[in-house]
Amino acid sequence: MSAIFKYEVETGPEPEMPEMPRERALITLEQISKVYDSGENAVQALRGIDTGIEAGQFVAITGPSGSGKSTLMHILGCLDSPSAGRYWLDGEDVATLTSRELARIRNRKIGFVFQTFNLLPRATILKNVELPLLYAGIGKDERQERAMKALERVGLNTRSKHRPNELSGGQRQRVAIARALVNNPSLILADEPTGNLDTKTGSDIIRIFEELAGSGQTIILVTHDPSIAARTERRIRIVDGLIDTESD
Amino acid sequence: MIIFESIIDGFRDIRDHFGRTMLQLLGIILGAASIVATFSLSVAGKAASMEFYRVSGGIQKMWVWDKPTGKVTLNAKALASKGLTYSDALAIRRDAREIDLVAPMASQGALVRYGHTEKSREISGVTPEYAPLTDFHAGSGRFLTDSDVASAARVVVLGSERAAEFFGTDNPIGKTLTIGGTGYSVVGVMEEKYFSFDQKRNVLRWMNRQIYIPVTTLITRRGETLEHGKIDRMQTRMKSVKRSDEAVDEVARILMREHGVKDYEVMSRVANLRRNEQNNKMYDMTFMVCGIISLLVGGIVVMNIQLASFNERVREVGTRKAVGASPAQIFFQFLSESILVSLFGGFMGLFVGRLFTQAITSLIHQPAIVTMGTLVNAMIFAAGTGLVFGMYPAIRASRLDPIVALRTE
Repeated sequence: MSAIFKYEVETGPEPEMPEMPRERALITLEQISKVYDSGENAVQALRGIDTGIEAGQFVAITGPSGSGKSTLMHILGCLDSPSAGRYWLDGEDVATLTSRELARIRNRKIGFVFQTFNLLPRATILKNVELPLLYAGIGKDERQERAMKALERVGLNTRSKHRPNELSGGQRQRVAIARALVNNPSLILADEPTGNLDTKTGSDIIRIFEELAGSGQTIILVTHDPSIAARTERRIRIVDGLIDTESD
Repeated sequence: MIIFESIIDGFRDIRDHFGRTMLQLLGIILGAASIVATFSLSVAGKAASMEFYRVSGGIQKMWVWDKPTGKVTLNAKALASKGLTYSDALAIRRDAREIDLVAPMASQGALVRYGHTEKSREISGVTPEYAPLTDFHAGSGRFLTDSDVASAARVVVLGSERAAEFFGTDNPIGKTLTIGGTGYSVVGVMEEKYFSFDQKRNVLRWMNRQIYIPVTTLITRRGETLEHGKIDRMQTRMKSVKRSDEAVDEVARILMREHGVKDYEVMSRVANLRRNEQNNKMYDMTFMVCGIISLLVGGIVVMNIQLASFNERVREVGTRKAVGASPAQIFFQFLSESILVSLFGGFMGLFVGRLFTQAITSLIHQPAIVTMGTLVNAMIFAAGTGLVFGMYPAIRASRLDPIVALRTE
């Protein structure tokens, strides 16, 4: 694009940008497909996912194992790139980014909560929550302040000096949620967050997600548990690499 | 920021896996230690040689001595040549521009007697220039003078051991010593000369066993004329070390003119030094190679253990990547751990190396000098080892796929 052309575009009426997503959604997926190429028999994990997720939605992705929901979650979380299709996150086309750029997106826009918590065992709770801010290059004082605030939101600010193995499973998952919250992400992705917890504790964790969703946080929760999926405002069911049903 | 955090992490890792880290350090410690020991011994060795050169007349010193050719030659002048003579020394003193001191020397065995002590001893005929050329001076009385030489005076100067041998505790100065049946007046006793490389053996002790008379006296007593007086060797001193080749050439040219045949040899200490430096370099290289090999082994251990540690921490790497650590940040974290461990090992190696040098010094009496440069060198090599061998584990960690990493149990 020449400089002159760019100038005209900027001064003229706002043009219809063909690259922009159709709706003003936080997430727009267009014909997302993923092929795992293992020699002769290529596996098509995703076969054209089309959907959009609005900012502030609390969404559950469900589906039987092998349906492709994990693959979808990896792509949504910018841990993996689709083989084909478009993924718009917060106005940015992230389908074609390099691993370094994906790391930046994960750091600034996404917070992860895993089934197995994935806290650093040798670091304190505070250090664990600070971790995303550390990689964002934020100074020590601000890191600690923001990490303490995030811990307050999950009710664990009194345990900041402890190590993960001194906490219960539910507490550890709350630390993980604090870590996911600390960088004010556009999106929190939770992959079977209650899978390693008993029903009661799991329910408490989902309540935290509900509260976060209530305050406008976009959350995508991957689960196979219908009772947990039922507590979200929207459910996307994946079967054989395609969206089977959507329900609001 | 990240650098600082990585270093803190590295220290935590060292502390948490102390035993493993020690193992990892061992190779680095030994490598750094052997570099310290090598350099220290080498530096001390060089310092000792330089000191030896200084106390034995400086590096400007040159020697000229007889070297019969053994060839049959029809050249009359060559046939007539009888090797080095006193007049050669005078010719060099007169004509050589690169030379400021010439000390001809002749020696001969003779019966030496004082009182009831009579022994067969070697007598050296020298000139006053001998003293500055060997940095050897009278301890009491005086050394030979130009007028002693000019008049072929019957005076003698004794090395300290010889003075004690013939005079015991008496003061020899002013007494008469009989050499080959002729009386010589003792005018001086030399200072005691001492130099040792190992703090045990005085390598210059032979100088304390000398008996000096004027070279002219020795020649004329032998019944020769001064012109054809045979001398054994000459020591000379060049004016400038930088022009050592020119000095050697000039002396050789004058002797060639006088003799007509090359029946002499001229050697300079500078040339010696150059050869020694070559040898020293070889020694240094050998020891350096040993040190580097142990560092290599240490490096391989570092690499293995870093890889093992990386395998243990795959999930951790995955987690760090999921929350946004870039490949470069992970790379740097692992690399800085390796460098840190290696620097730590290098640091400990400095102390172990110090112990090595002390052990060597007390066992084989080799002096050792530990310089700052040596320590810095050892540290640089240790850090370099960490850098090189930490590279592979760091690259592997940085390239790890976070999905695979998070799935790993």
